[in-house]
Amino acid sequence: MSEKMPASITLAATGQCIEFKAGDQCALQCLETKKIPVSYQCREGYCGACRATLIAGNVHYNEEPLAFVREGEILLCCCKPNGAITINI
Amino acid sequence: MSYTTFSRKHNNQMQEPMFFGQTVNVSRYDQQKYPIFEKLIEKQLSFFWRPEEVDVSKDRLDFQALPEHEKHIFLSNLKYQTLLDSVQGRSPNVALLPIVSIPELETWIETWAFSETIHSRSYTHIIRNVTQSPELIFDDIVSNDKISERADAVTTYYDDLINSVSLYNLYGEGKHEINGNTVVVNLFELKKKLYLAMMSVNILEAIRFYVSFACSFAFAEREVMEGNAKIIKLIARDEALHLSGTQHILNIMQEGKDDPEMAIVAAQCQDEAIAMFVEAAEQEKEWAEYLFKDGSMIGLNKHILCQYVEYITNARMTAIGLPAQFENNSNPIPWINSWLVSDNVQVAPQEAEISSYLVGQIDSQVDASDFGDFDL
Repeated sequence: MSEKMPASITLAATGQCIEFKAGDQCALQCLETKKIPVSYQCREGYCGACRATLIAGNVHYNEEPLAFVREGEILLCCCKPNGAITINI
Repeated sequence: MSYTTFSRKHNNQMQEPMFFGQTVNVSRYDQQKYPIFEKLIEKQLSFFWRPEEVDVSKDRLDFQALPEHEKHIFLSNLKYQTLLDSVQGRSPNVALLPIVSIPELETWIETWAFSETIHSRSYTHIIRNVTQSPELIFDDIVSNDKISERADAVTTYYDDLINSVSLYNLYGEGKHEINGNTVVVNLFELKKKLYLAMMSVNILEAIRFYVSFACSFAFAEREVMEGNAKIIKLIARDEALHLSGTQHILNIMQEGKDDPEMAIVAAQCQDEAIAMFVEAAEQEKEWAEYLFKDGSMIGLNKHILCQYVEYITNARMTAIGLPAQFENNSNPIPWINSWLVSDNVQVAPQEAEISSYLVGQIDSQVDASDFGDFDL
Protein backbone atom coordinates (compact mmCIF):
# COMPACT_ATOMS: atom_id res chain seq x y z
CA MET A 1 0.00 0.00 0.00
CA SER A 2 1.32 3.40 -0.90
CA GLU A 3 1.55 6.20 1.66
CA LYS A 4 -1.68 8.15 1.64
CA MET A 5 -2.91 11.33 3.20
CA PRO A 6 -4.77 10.56 6.42
CA ALA A 7 -8.45 10.21 5.56
CA SER A 8 -10.94 12.48 7.23
CA ILE A 9 -14.46 13.83 6.79
CA THR A 10 -15.19 17.50 7.41
CA LEU A 11 -18.80 18.59 7.84
CA ALA A 12 -19.30 21.84 5.95
CA ALA A 13 -22.23 22.91 8.13
CA THR A 14 -20.33 22.84 11.45
CA GLY A 15 -16.69 22.67 10.41
CA GLN A 16 -16.26 19.54 12.53
CA CYS A 17 -13.50 17.27 11.22
CA ILE A 18 -13.69 13.55 11.87
CA GLU A 19 -10.80 11.18 11.35
CA PHE A 20 -11.60 8.21 9.13
CA LYS A 21 -9.93 5.29 10.89
CA ALA A 22 -8.55 2.23 9.15
CA GLY A 23 -11.22 0.04 10.71
CA ASP A 24 -14.13 2.15 9.45
CA GLN A 25 -16.12 0.27 6.82
CA CYS A 26 -17.70 3.31 5.22
CA ALA A 27 -18.20 7.05 5.68
CA LEU A 28 -21.62 6.45 7.24
CA GLN A 29 -20.21 4.20 9.94
CA CYS A 30 -17.40 6.67 10.61
CA LEU A 31 -19.93 9.49 11.20
CA GLU A 32 -22.08 7.25 13.38
CA THR A 33 -19.20 6.49 15.73
CA LYS A 34 -19.11 10.24 16.44
CA LYS A 35 -22.90 10.22 16.97
CA ILE A 36 -23.57 12.45 14.00
CA PRO A 37 -27.15 11.93 12.86
CA VAL A 38 -27.20 10.78 9.23
CA SER A 39 -30.22 9.35 7.48
CA TYR A 40 -29.79 5.87 6.14
CA GLN A 41 -31.84 2.86 5.20
CA CYS A 42 -30.49 -0.08 3.25
CA ARG A 43 -26.76 0.47 3.97
CA GLU A 44 -26.07 -1.33 0.71
CA GLY A 45 -26.11 1.51 -1.79
CA TYR A 46 -29.48 0.93 -3.42
CA CYS A 47 -31.97 3.08 -1.50
CA GLY A 48 -30.16 6.42 -1.68
CA ALA A 49 -31.25 7.61 1.78
CA CYS A 50 -27.69 8.50 2.82
CA ARG A 51 -27.07 10.75 -0.20
CA ALA A 52 -24.74 13.66 0.68
CA THR A 53 -23.10 16.50 -1.22
CA LEU A 54 -19.37 16.23 -1.76
CA ILE A 55 -17.86 19.70 -1.53
CA ALA A 56 -14.16 18.87 -1.65
CA GLY A 57 -12.02 15.78 -2.13
CA ASN A 58 -12.98 12.45 -3.60
CA VAL A 59 -14.17 9.04 -2.49
CA HIS A 60 -14.02 5.50 -3.73
CA TYR A 61 -16.84 2.98 -3.54
CA ASN A 62 -16.57 -0.41 -1.89
CA GLU A 63 -19.22 -1.53 -4.34
CA GLU A 64 -20.69 0.52 -7.19
CA PRO A 65 -23.98 1.94 -5.81
CA LEU A 66 -27.30 1.02 -7.44
CA ALA A 67 -29.06 4.21 -6.35
CA PHE A 68 -28.91 7.23 -8.62
CA VAL A 69 -25.97 9.45 -7.70
CA ARG A 70 -25.59 12.81 -9.41
CA GLU A 71 -22.24 14.43 -9.99
CA GLY A 72 -21.11 16.05 -6.78
CA GLU A 73 -23.12 13.62 -4.67
CA ILE A 74 -21.96 10.57 -2.73
CA LEU A 75 -23.63 7.70 -0.93
CA LEU A 76 -22.19 7.55 2.57
CA CYS A 77 -23.11 3.91 3.21
CA CYS A 78 -20.84 2.46 0.57
CA CYS A 79 -17.95 4.89 0.10
CA LYS A 80 -14.63 5.63 1.78
CA PRO A 81 -12.86 8.99 1.59
CA ASN A 82 -9.65 9.23 -0.44
CA GLY A 83 -7.75 11.53 1.88
CA ALA A 84 -9.56 14.53 3.32
CA ILE A 85 -13.08 15.27 2.12
CA THR A 86 -15.66 17.93 2.94
CA ILE A 87 -19.33 17.05 2.75
CA ASN A 88 -22.75 18.48 3.43
CA ILE A 89 -25.37 16.18 4.91
CA MET B 1 -48.75 1.74 -37.44
CA SER B 2 -49.61 -1.17 -35.23
CA TYR B 3 -47.94 -2.88 -32.32
CA THR B 4 -45.80 -5.92 -32.91
CA THR B 5 -44.35 -8.22 -30.29
CA PHE B 6 -41.30 -8.97 -32.43
CA SER B 7 -40.27 -6.38 -34.96
CA ARG B 8 -38.53 -7.91 -38.00
CA LYS B 9 -36.77 -4.61 -38.58
CA HIS B 10 -33.07 -4.57 -37.68
CA ASN B 11 -32.19 -1.81 -35.26
CA ASN B 12 -29.36 -0.83 -33.00
CA GLN B 13 -30.78 -1.16 -29.51
CA MET B 14 -27.92 0.93 -28.15
CA GLN B 15 -29.29 3.89 -30.10
CA GLU B 16 -32.92 3.52 -29.04
CA PRO B 17 -34.38 5.76 -26.34
CA MET B 18 -35.78 4.09 -23.20
CA PHE B 19 -39.36 4.56 -24.41
CA PHE B 20 -41.17 5.22 -27.69
CA GLY B 21 -38.38 3.95 -29.92
CA GLN B 22 -38.70 0.74 -31.91
CA THR B 23 -40.22 -1.90 -29.64
CA VAL B 24 -37.73 -4.48 -28.41
CA ASN B 25 -37.33 -7.49 -30.67
CA VAL B 26 -34.39 -9.61 -29.48
CA SER B 27 -34.05 -9.78 -25.70
CA ARG B 28 -30.29 -9.55 -25.61
CA TYR B 29 -28.09 -8.41 -22.76
CA ASP B 30 -24.64 -8.76 -24.27
CA GLN B 31 -24.74 -5.02 -24.96
CA GLN B 32 -26.49 -2.61 -22.67
CA LYS B 33 -27.31 1.04 -23.03
CA TYR B 34 -28.01 1.33 -19.30
CA PRO B 35 -26.25 -1.47 -17.35
CA ILE B 36 -27.88 -0.15 -14.15
CA PHE B 37 -31.15 -1.89 -15.06
CA GLU B 38 -29.34 -5.21 -15.40
CA LYS B 39 -27.79 -4.64 -11.97
CA LEU B 40 -31.20 -3.90 -10.51
CA ILE B 41 -32.53 -7.13 -12.03
CA GLU B 42 -29.70 -9.13 -10.49
CA LYS B 43 -30.23 -7.51 -7.11
CA GLN B 44 -33.98 -8.13 -7.29
CA LEU B 45 -33.46 -11.78 -8.19
CA SER B 46 -31.05 -12.18 -5.30
CA PHE B 47 -33.77 -10.80 -2.99
CA PHE B 48 -36.21 -13.55 -3.96
CA TRP B 49 -38.40 -14.72 -1.08
CA ARG B 50 -41.73 -16.41 -0.51
CA PRO B 51 -44.37 -15.35 2.03
CA GLU B 52 -44.74 -18.92 3.30
CA GLU B 53 -41.17 -18.77 4.63
CA VAL B 54 -42.34 -16.39 7.33
CA ASP B 55 -44.25 -17.84 10.25
CA VAL B 56 -47.17 -15.56 11.08
CA SER B 57 -49.02 -17.89 13.44
CA LYS B 58 -48.27 -15.87 16.58
CA ASP B 59 -49.81 -12.82 14.93
CA ARG B 60 -53.26 -14.38 15.16
CA LEU B 61 -53.13 -14.29 18.97
CA ASP B 62 -51.60 -10.81 18.93
CA PHE B 63 -54.33 -9.56 16.65
CA GLN B 64 -57.13 -10.93 18.79
CA ALA B 65 -55.69 -9.16 21.81
CA LEU B 66 -55.47 -5.77 20.07
CA PRO B 67 -57.98 -3.10 21.12
CA GLU B 68 -60.59 -2.26 18.47
CA HIS B 69 -58.99 1.00 17.35
CA GLU B 70 -55.68 -0.76 16.78
CA LYS B 71 -57.40 -3.51 14.81
CA HIS B 72 -58.79 -0.73 12.64
CA ILE B 73 -55.29 0.72 12.14
CA PHE B 74 -53.78 -2.65 11.34
CA LEU B 75 -56.46 -3.80 8.92
CA SER B 76 -56.86 -0.45 7.15
CA ASN B 77 -53.13 -0.28 6.65
CA LEU B 78 -53.09 -3.81 5.27
CA LYS B 79 -55.96 -2.99 2.90
CA TYR B 80 -54.07 0.01 1.64
CA GLN B 81 -50.95 -2.07 1.07
CA THR B 82 -53.02 -4.67 -0.76
CA LEU B 83 -54.44 -1.97 -3.01
CA LEU B 84 -51.02 -0.52 -3.78
CA ASP B 85 -49.52 -3.86 -4.72
CA SER B 86 -52.58 -4.88 -6.74
CA VAL B 87 -51.90 -1.80 -8.85
CA GLN B 88 -48.15 -2.30 -8.97
CA GLY B 89 -48.34 -6.00 -9.77
CA ARG B 90 -49.86 -5.27 -13.16
CA SER B 91 -49.58 -1.63 -14.12
CA PRO B 92 -45.87 -1.37 -14.95
CA ASN B 93 -46.38 -4.25 -17.38
CA VAL B 94 -49.58 -2.97 -18.94
CA ALA B 95 -48.46 0.64 -19.17
CA LEU B 96 -44.77 0.40 -19.95
CA LEU B 97 -44.11 -2.83 -21.87
CA PRO B 98 -45.91 -1.68 -25.04
CA ILE B 99 -43.68 1.40 -25.29
CA VAL B 100 -40.32 0.34 -23.88
CA SER B 101 -37.53 0.10 -26.46
CA ILE B 102 -34.44 -1.29 -24.75
CA PRO B 103 -34.21 -4.90 -23.56
CA GLU B 104 -32.58 -4.46 -20.15
CA LEU B 105 -35.23 -1.92 -19.14
CA GLU B 106 -38.00 -4.15 -20.48
CA THR B 107 -36.75 -7.03 -18.36
CA TRP B 108 -36.33 -4.78 -15.33
CA ILE B 109 -40.00 -3.74 -15.66
CA GLU B 110 -41.09 -7.38 -15.78
CA THR B 111 -38.86 -8.35 -12.85
CA TRP B 112 -40.14 -5.37 -10.87
CA ALA B 113 -43.80 -6.17 -11.48
CA PHE B 114 -43.23 -9.83 -10.70
CA SER B 115 -41.82 -9.03 -7.29
CA GLU B 116 -44.93 -6.95 -6.58
CA THR B 117 -47.05 -10.05 -7.20
CA ILE B 118 -45.12 -11.78 -4.41
CA HIS B 119 -46.13 -8.89 -2.16
CA SER B 120 -49.77 -9.33 -3.11
CA ARG B 121 -49.58 -13.02 -2.30
CA SER B 122 -48.03 -12.25 1.05
CA TYR B 123 -50.98 -10.00 2.03
CA THR B 124 -53.30 -12.95 1.47
CA HIS B 125 -50.96 -15.02 3.64
CA ILE B 126 -51.22 -12.43 6.42
CA ILE B 127 -54.96 -11.81 6.10
CA ARG B 128 -55.85 -15.52 6.02
CA ASN B 129 -53.98 -15.85 9.26
CA VAL B 130 -55.57 -13.02 11.22
CA THR B 131 -59.15 -13.57 10.16
CA GLN B 132 -61.42 -16.43 9.27
CA SER B 133 -63.26 -14.38 6.68
CA PRO B 134 -60.64 -12.83 4.39
CA GLU B 135 -63.38 -11.98 1.88
CA LEU B 136 -64.69 -9.22 4.18
CA ILE B 137 -61.32 -7.51 4.06
CA PHE B 138 -60.76 -7.96 0.34
CA ASP B 139 -64.29 -6.81 -0.54
CA ASP B 140 -63.87 -3.70 1.56
CA ILE B 141 -60.85 -2.65 -0.51
CA VAL B 142 -63.24 -2.03 -3.40
CA SER B 143 -66.21 -0.67 -1.45
CA ASN B 144 -64.56 1.46 1.27
CA ASP B 145 -64.65 5.13 0.28
CA LYS B 146 -61.37 6.01 1.98
CA ILE B 147 -59.49 3.22 0.20
CA SER B 148 -61.16 3.99 -3.08
CA GLU B 149 -59.99 7.62 -2.89
CA ARG B 150 -56.48 6.21 -2.60
CA ALA B 151 -57.14 4.01 -5.64
CA ASP B 152 -58.12 7.06 -7.74
CA ALA B 153 -54.95 8.83 -6.74
CA VAL B 154 -52.62 5.98 -7.68
CA THR B 155 -54.27 4.89 -10.94
CA THR B 156 -55.29 8.10 -12.75
CA TYR B 157 -51.95 8.70 -14.44
CA TYR B 158 -51.42 5.05 -15.27
CA ASP B 159 -54.87 4.77 -16.85
CA ASP B 160 -54.42 7.94 -18.84
CA LEU B 161 -51.13 6.69 -20.26
CA ILE B 162 -52.45 3.19 -20.97
CA ASN B 163 -55.51 4.47 -22.85
CA SER B 164 -53.50 6.93 -24.91
CA VAL B 165 -50.78 4.41 -25.75
CA SER B 166 -53.33 1.88 -26.97
CA LEU B 167 -54.70 4.51 -29.38
CA TYR B 168 -51.16 5.37 -30.47
CA ASN B 169 -50.29 1.74 -31.10
CA LEU B 170 -53.50 1.19 -33.06
CA TYR B 171 -53.74 4.35 -35.10
CA GLY B 172 -50.45 6.20 -34.78
CA GLU B 173 -50.09 9.97 -34.48
CA GLY B 174 -52.72 12.28 -35.92
CA LYS B 175 -56.40 13.17 -35.69
CA HIS B 176 -58.71 10.16 -35.62
CA GLU B 177 -62.49 9.68 -35.70
CA ILE B 178 -63.31 6.97 -33.18
CA ASN B 179 -66.97 6.12 -32.49
CA GLY B 180 -67.95 9.59 -33.58
CA ASN B 181 -65.40 11.28 -31.31
CA THR B 182 -62.36 13.11 -32.59
CA VAL B 183 -59.20 12.00 -30.84
CA VAL B 184 -55.82 13.62 -31.32
CA VAL B 185 -52.80 11.40 -30.75
CA ASN B 186 -49.57 13.33 -30.36
CA LEU B 187 -46.26 11.76 -29.40
CA PHE B 188 -45.08 14.75 -27.38
CA GLU B 189 -48.28 14.68 -25.33
CA LEU B 190 -47.79 10.93 -24.86
CA LYS B 191 -44.32 11.54 -23.50
CA LYS B 192 -45.80 13.98 -21.01
CA LYS B 193 -48.28 11.35 -19.89
CA LEU B 194 -45.42 8.87 -19.54
CA TYR B 195 -43.35 11.28 -17.47
CA LEU B 196 -46.25 12.09 -15.16
CA ALA B 197 -47.19 8.42 -14.82
CA MET B 198 -43.60 7.68 -13.86
CA MET B 199 -43.76 10.49 -11.28
CA SER B 200 -46.96 9.05 -9.90
CA VAL B 201 -45.34 5.58 -9.60
CA ASN B 202 -42.37 7.14 -7.84
CA ILE B 203 -44.74 8.83 -5.39
CA LEU B 204 -46.55 5.56 -4.82
CA GLU B 205 -43.39 3.59 -4.11
CA ALA B 206 -41.37 6.28 -2.39
CA ILE B 207 -43.97 7.93 -0.17
CA ARG B 208 -47.26 6.02 0.04
CA PHE B 209 -45.62 2.67 0.67
CA TYR B 210 -43.32 4.09 3.32
CA VAL B 211 -46.20 5.62 5.25
CA SER B 212 -47.77 2.18 5.39
CA PHE B 213 -44.45 0.58 6.38
CA ALA B 214 -44.19 2.96 9.32
CA CYS B 215 -47.53 1.67 10.65
CA SER B 216 -46.58 -1.99 10.20
CA PHE B 217 -43.27 -1.52 11.98
CA ALA B 218 -44.83 0.53 14.78
CA PHE B 219 -46.74 -2.58 15.86
CA ALA B 220 -43.62 -4.72 15.82
CA GLU B 221 -41.67 -2.12 17.83
CA ARG B 222 -44.06 -3.14 20.64
CA GLU B 223 -43.39 -6.80 19.87
CA VAL B 224 -46.84 -7.49 18.44
CA MET B 225 -47.67 -8.58 14.89
CA GLU B 226 -44.03 -9.45 14.34
CA GLY B 227 -44.61 -12.02 11.61
CA ASN B 228 -46.37 -9.33 9.64
CA ALA B 229 -43.47 -6.95 10.19
CA LYS B 230 -40.98 -9.56 8.98
CA ILE B 231 -42.91 -9.83 5.73
CA ILE B 232 -43.22 -6.06 5.42
CA LYS B 233 -39.47 -5.81 5.97
CA LEU B 234 -38.89 -8.03 2.94
CA ILE B 235 -41.39 -5.97 0.98
CA ALA B 236 -39.68 -2.74 2.03
CA ARG B 237 -36.34 -4.08 0.85
CA ASP B 238 -37.85 -4.75 -2.58
CA GLU B 239 -39.56 -1.37 -2.69
CA ALA B 240 -36.31 0.47 -2.02
CA LEU B 241 -34.95 -1.20 -5.13
CA HIS B 242 -38.03 -0.38 -7.21
CA LEU B 243 -37.91 3.23 -6.26
CA SER B 244 -34.24 3.34 -7.16
CA GLY B 245 -35.38 2.04 -10.59
CA THR B 246 -37.98 4.77 -11.07
CA GLN B 247 -35.55 7.41 -9.80
CA HIS B 248 -33.06 6.28 -12.43
CA ILE B 249 -35.68 6.40 -15.18
CA LEU B 250 -36.82 9.89 -14.13
CA ASN B 251 -33.29 11.23 -13.86
CA ILE B 252 -32.31 9.79 -17.26
CA MET B 253 -35.42 11.41 -18.74
CA GLN B 254 -34.58 14.79 -17.18
CA GLU B 255 -31.00 14.72 -18.47
CA GLY B 256 -32.27 14.50 -22.04
CA LYS B 257 -29.29 12.57 -23.43
CA ASP B 258 -31.52 9.56 -23.93
CA ASP B 259 -34.34 11.47 -25.65
CA PRO B 260 -33.89 15.27 -25.96
CA GLU B 261 -37.66 15.75 -26.09
CA MET B 262 -37.98 14.09 -22.71
CA ALA B 263 -35.87 16.86 -21.12
CA ILE B 264 -38.30 19.44 -22.55
CA VAL B 265 -41.20 17.38 -21.20
CA ALA B 266 -39.55 17.22 -17.77
CA ALA B 267 -38.99 20.97 -17.72
CA GLN B 268 -42.58 21.67 -18.79
CA CYS B 269 -43.98 19.25 -16.22
CA GLN B 270 -41.84 20.46 -13.31
CA ASP B 271 -44.61 22.48 -11.64
CA GLU B 272 -47.14 19.72 -12.11
CA ALA B 273 -44.70 17.17 -10.66
CA ILE B 274 -44.15 19.34 -7.57
CA ALA B 275 -47.92 19.72 -7.20
CA MET B 276 -48.33 15.95 -7.45
CA PHE B 277 -45.89 15.38 -4.58
CA VAL B 278 -47.55 18.01 -2.40
CA GLU B 279 -50.99 16.61 -3.15
CA ALA B 280 -49.85 13.07 -2.35
CA ALA B 281 -48.42 14.27 0.96
CA GLU B 282 -51.78 15.89 1.79
CA GLN B 283 -53.61 12.69 0.85
CA GLU B 284 -51.34 10.65 3.06
CA LYS B 285 -51.98 13.05 5.94
CA GLU B 286 -55.73 12.63 5.44
CA TRP B 287 -55.17 8.90 5.45
CA ALA B 288 -53.28 9.24 8.77
CA GLU B 289 -56.32 11.04 10.12
CA TYR B 290 -58.55 8.14 9.07
CA LEU B 291 -56.17 5.53 10.54
CA PHE B 292 -56.06 7.18 13.94
CA LYS B 293 -59.68 8.39 14.02
CA ASP B 294 -60.59 6.17 16.98
CA GLY B 295 -57.33 6.53 18.87
CA SER B 296 -53.54 6.38 18.59
CA MET B 297 -51.16 3.57 19.36
CA ILE B 298 -48.04 3.60 21.49
CA GLY B 299 -45.19 5.02 19.44
CA LEU B 300 -47.27 6.36 16.59
CA ASN B 301 -50.06 8.88 16.24
CA LYS B 302 -51.51 11.10 13.57
CA HIS B 303 -49.13 13.94 14.33
CA ILE B 304 -45.97 11.83 14.14
CA LEU B 305 -47.09 10.08 10.97
CA CYS B 306 -47.82 13.45 9.31
CA GLN B 307 -44.32 14.66 10.23
CA TYR B 308 -42.92 11.49 8.68
CA VAL B 309 -44.94 12.15 5.50
CA GLU B 310 -43.31 15.59 5.22
CA TYR B 311 -39.83 14.28 5.93
CA ILE B 312 -40.05 11.45 3.40
CA THR B 313 -41.68 13.68 0.75
CA ASN B 314 -38.78 16.13 1.00
CA ALA B 315 -36.21 13.35 0.69
CA ARG B 316 -37.91 11.81 -2.33
CA MET B 317 -38.34 15.13 -4.11
CA THR B 318 -34.69 16.09 -3.81
CA ALA B 319 -33.69 12.60 -5.02
CA ILE B 320 -35.24 13.37 -8.41
CA GLY B 321 -34.09 16.96 -8.61
CA LEU B 322 -37.24 18.69 -7.34
CA PRO B 323 -37.10 21.34 -4.61
CA ALA B 324 -38.20 20.18 -1.13
CA GLN B 325 -41.59 21.63 -0.16
CA PHE B 326 -41.75 21.19 3.60
CA GLU B 327 -39.90 22.74 6.51
CA ASN B 328 -39.43 19.52 8.39
CA ASN B 329 -36.14 17.83 7.56
CA SER B 330 -35.66 15.43 10.41
CA ASN B 331 -37.02 11.95 10.74
CA PRO B 332 -39.57 11.83 13.59
CA ILE B 333 -39.37 8.02 13.77
CA PRO B 334 -35.66 7.18 13.54
CA TRP B 335 -36.39 3.65 14.78
CA ILE B 336 -37.81 2.86 11.34
CA ASN B 337 -34.26 2.79 9.94
CA SER B 338 -33.37 -0.42 11.73
CA TRP B 339 -36.36 -2.05 10.01
CA LEU B 340 -35.22 -0.81 6.63
CA VAL B 341 -31.62 -1.97 6.82
CA SER B 342 -30.94 -4.62 4.26
CA ASP B 343 -28.40 -6.44 6.47
CA ASN B 344 -30.92 -7.01 9.19
CA VAL B 345 -32.98 -9.27 6.97
CA GLN B 346 -31.93 -12.47 8.66
CA VAL B 347 -30.26 -14.92 6.33
CA ALA B 348 -27.60 -17.56 6.47
CA PRO B 349 -24.75 -16.85 4.00
CA GLN B 350 -25.40 -20.05 2.11
CA GLU B 351 -28.96 -18.99 1.45
CA ALA B 352 -29.75 -17.29 -1.80
CA GLU B 353 -30.87 -13.99 -0.33
CA ILE B 354 -27.48 -12.51 0.41
CA SER B 355 -26.74 -10.84 -2.85
CA SER B 356 -23.03 -10.47 -2.25
CA TYR B 357 -22.84 -14.24 -1.92
CA LEU B 358 -24.22 -14.66 -5.41
CA VAL B 359 -22.06 -12.21 -7.27
CA GLY B 360 -18.67 -13.66 -8.21
CA GLN B 361 -16.24 -13.20 -5.38
CA ILE B 362 -13.22 -13.83 -7.56
CA ASP B 363 -11.73 -11.02 -9.57
CA SER B 364 -11.51 -12.64 -12.98
CA GLN B 365 -9.87 -9.70 -14.74
CA VAL B 366 -6.28 -10.37 -15.69
CA ASP B 367 -3.93 -8.05 -17.56
CA ALA B 368 -0.27 -8.18 -18.48
CA SER B 369 0.92 -6.29 -15.40
CA ASP B 370 -0.34 -9.12 -13.19
CA PHE B 371 2.51 -11.24 -14.56
CA GLY B 372 5.15 -8.59 -13.84
CA ASP B 373 6.91 -10.54 -11.10
CA PHE B 374 6.40 -13.92 -12.71
CA ASP B 375 9.53 -15.92 -13.67
CA LEU B 376 9.92 -19.35 -15.17
